[in-house]
Amino acid sequence: MRRADRWTGGRAVGTAVVALALLTASRPVRLSGQDSQFGIRGLGTPGRWESVRSRSTGGAFGPFDPLSPLTDAPLADIGQLTATAAGGTSNRNATVGGTTTALRATRFPVMGVAGPVGPRVAVAAGFTTYLDKSWDVTLRDSLLLRGTVQRYTDEVVSDGSVADVRFAVAGRLSRRIAIGAGVHVLAGSTRETAERRFDDSTFHTVQQSADVRYDGLGVSGSVLLGLAPGLSMVAWARSDNRLRAKVADTTTAVTDLPRMAGGGLLFAPSPSARFAASAAWRSWSKAGAGAFDTWTWSAGAEFGSRRMPIRLGARGGQFPFGPGTKPPTEAAASVGTGRAFAQGRALIDLGLERLERRGGGLTERVWTVLVGITVRP
Amino acid sequence: MTRRRLALVGAVLLVAACVERLTAPGQCPDFCPSGRITIVDTLLTSSINRDSSFRGYVLAYESPLMLAAHVPGATDTLESRPIFRVNGVGGRFLLSATDTGAIRGADSARLQLYIVRRDTATRNLRLQLYRLPIQIDTGTTFGSVAGPFTDSLVRTVNIDTLLTRPGMKDAVTGDSVVVDTTNHRLALSLKLDTAAARYVVTDSGTVAYGVRIAGDNFASVALGKGTTGPVLQWYLRVDSLGTTVARQPSILGAPFASFVFAPPPAPLDSMLAVGGVPSAHSLLRVAFPKVVRDSSQIIRATLFLVPAVAARGAPADSFVIEARTVFADFGGKSPIDPRLGDTTIIHPGSTDTVKIEVTNLLQLWAADSTHPTTLVLRPQAEAQFLGEIRFYPSVAAAFRPMLQVTFVRRFPFGVP
Repeated sequence: MRRADRWTGGRAVGTAVVALALLTASRPVRLSGQDSQFGIRGLGTPGRWESVRSRSTGGAFGPFDPLSPLTDAPLADIGQLTATAAGGTSNRNATVGGTTTALRATRFPVMGVAGPVGPRVAVAAGFTTYLDKSWDVTLRDSLLLRGTVQRYTDEVVSDGSVADVRFAVAGRLSRRIAIGAGVHVLAGSTRETAERRFDDSTFHTVQQSADVRYDGLGVSGSVLLGLAPGLSMVAWARSDNRLRAKVADTTTAVTDLPRMAGGGLLFAPSPSARFAASAAWRSWSKAGAGAFDTWTWSAGAEFGSRRMPIRLGARGGQFPFGPGTKPPTEAAASVGTGRAFAQGRALIDLGLERLERRGGGLTERVWTVLVGITVRP
Repeated sequence: MTRRRLALVGAVLLVAACVERLTAPGQCPDFCPSGRITIVDTLLTSSINRDSSFRGYVLAYESPLMLAAHVPGATDTLESRPIFRVNGVGGRFLLSATDTGAIRGADSARLQLYIVRRDTATRNLRLQLYRLPIQIDTGTTFGSVAGPFTDSLVRTVNIDTLLTRPGMKDAVTGDSVVVDTTNHRLALSLKLDTAAARYVVTDSGTVAYGVRIAGDNFASVALGKGTTGPVLQWYLRVDSLGTTVARQPSILGAPFASFVFAPPPAPLDSMLAVGGVPSAHSLLRVAFPKVVRDSSQIIRATLFLVPAVAARGAPADSFVIEARTVFADFGGKSPIDPRLGDTTIIHPGSTDTVKIEVTNLLQLWAADSTHPTTLVLRPQAEAQFLGEIRFYPSVAAAFRPMLQVTFVRRFPFGVP
């Protein structure tokens, strides 16, 4: 090994270690994604199965990104062993009934490793957030008890998430066609607490808690077509069976999970300009009352060299859970950049997203700062 | 350049990620969890059965206090009198390592009594000291010492007057009092002259005294015993080779200290008696409903007891009764679980319904299904108050003991 190779390898690892240290400098938190008050009444807040690079383009590059666990076929072009992780901090203002509440959360929504196992075959393993179920609701109310109106404060807390553990394989059938498939094991747990504190301390504080475990299974498949030089198309589909919730080995709920399908188009007219658009449909209405089928779309672009590109994008669509008869809507814009170190062996991606969700009288406005690291040892 | 960028990234991350705030005010029902905390309040009117009372747990001489009272009532007067005996030093006194001398008598003595509880509203509190036969013991009754309490008065002291004297000392009698604000008690020191403190050699110097108290209306005090008196200091005259010398033996405590009172407590009947001397306990057996036992959490439980008669005792001597559970139900000899207890204050003369919060006890029963569901009602300070209360038992359908229980059903965790 030449000295320069040793140096660049060491620098890549060093950069990754520093970046990882910075990412984990905050208190340890759950491996879950951006949460929303819309998800409290429903199954939770669906995760975004995208790397920071893809998310910085509004998600438009997600179907083509081998490091985004949305589709499997792009893995075929991974080229070398690659590990990635992402972290994000959200500052959220939830406004309902004229009251605005500021919320903050830090999440690590994506981690994974992928690499080739043959000339045309690559595999990947990792996890992402399937449903975030972390929330904390306080409620002030009263009830008539023993002939007296007793005022109390309720606090119901759910802390945890359901992770999507993916094992995927992809192969390139020809220069124009690559296919991929994945198995998704849904697993997770939440620590749920319900507490009622009476103003009159003669009534003891109610405090109940339980660990709820979740499990489910899903499969996915995708195909990546090279339509022309610089023009690619991807189509994907996924089916998840059901989410089973168990408390102390007793099944408390079984909820059907959606089927989903989507596609995207990637156009790269030059090495320094890439454009993408994608759309997806998900049948969340199977989850029961208060859940809706959703359509989402995104469009984005990446400019500049791969060493330090500029990314931007927008997305819109619907959120699957909410009150009323229509699904809440969401729209977001994002920008981002990245920096390659050590001859491309280590990459740090930064993104900033502004999201707005509306529905049922609630408006959520979210700023999310995203940081991703990728290491190719 | 690279390091500067990394530092910038790190700073941004640290600022952004240092706090997690998830709490939001609930906007129900749209943005609240579907599950709610469900509270049930129920009155268990017939769950208490097979209740009974037992007396004799702590007798007067076993009490850590000596009770003195003079409480005139409508039909009789509650009178309680401390009695105690102080053993003497014998017929001879040790003058040196090799010599003893015969005790010829006592010049005087100083008796110290501690008043550990008193009603400061009582005016003109008087204490009378009587000489009693030295044969007093645990079998001594109020009637058996009625005579000496009539004709053997040796000293009267007005405590209220003594408290107002300069230095709280009576220069004439030599009596004094010290107010111990730390321990909330009075240390009363009485000087007994030769007549009051007769050292009878044939009795080995043993003396016995009794105390009566009186006030303008009623009076009730508690005298300490054991480490808090009474103690006697003799000032003796001893023969030393034909010469009478003064000697001062060590302070003597009272190996026997008790109190006698009249009228005695009424015999136990079907009512549930708690308190008094000797102290009485009542047992209440509770049929703990399965719906309550299986509930998620009991947040309040209240025991309701209806007094059959007004609580007896000195008006100022409110006393505390407590409800406890037992380790095993052996009736009157059930071993009481000392870990948890709930209390309430009983005011003599009152006939109001007594409520005791027994949440802790029912929570224990819910958590441990092997625990006997039996409640014991007993005075918190046994035989330290003359007060006694009697409640209607479960056979009195209209006034039987009842439990009101507020509990929470299990929260539907894991349900979207």
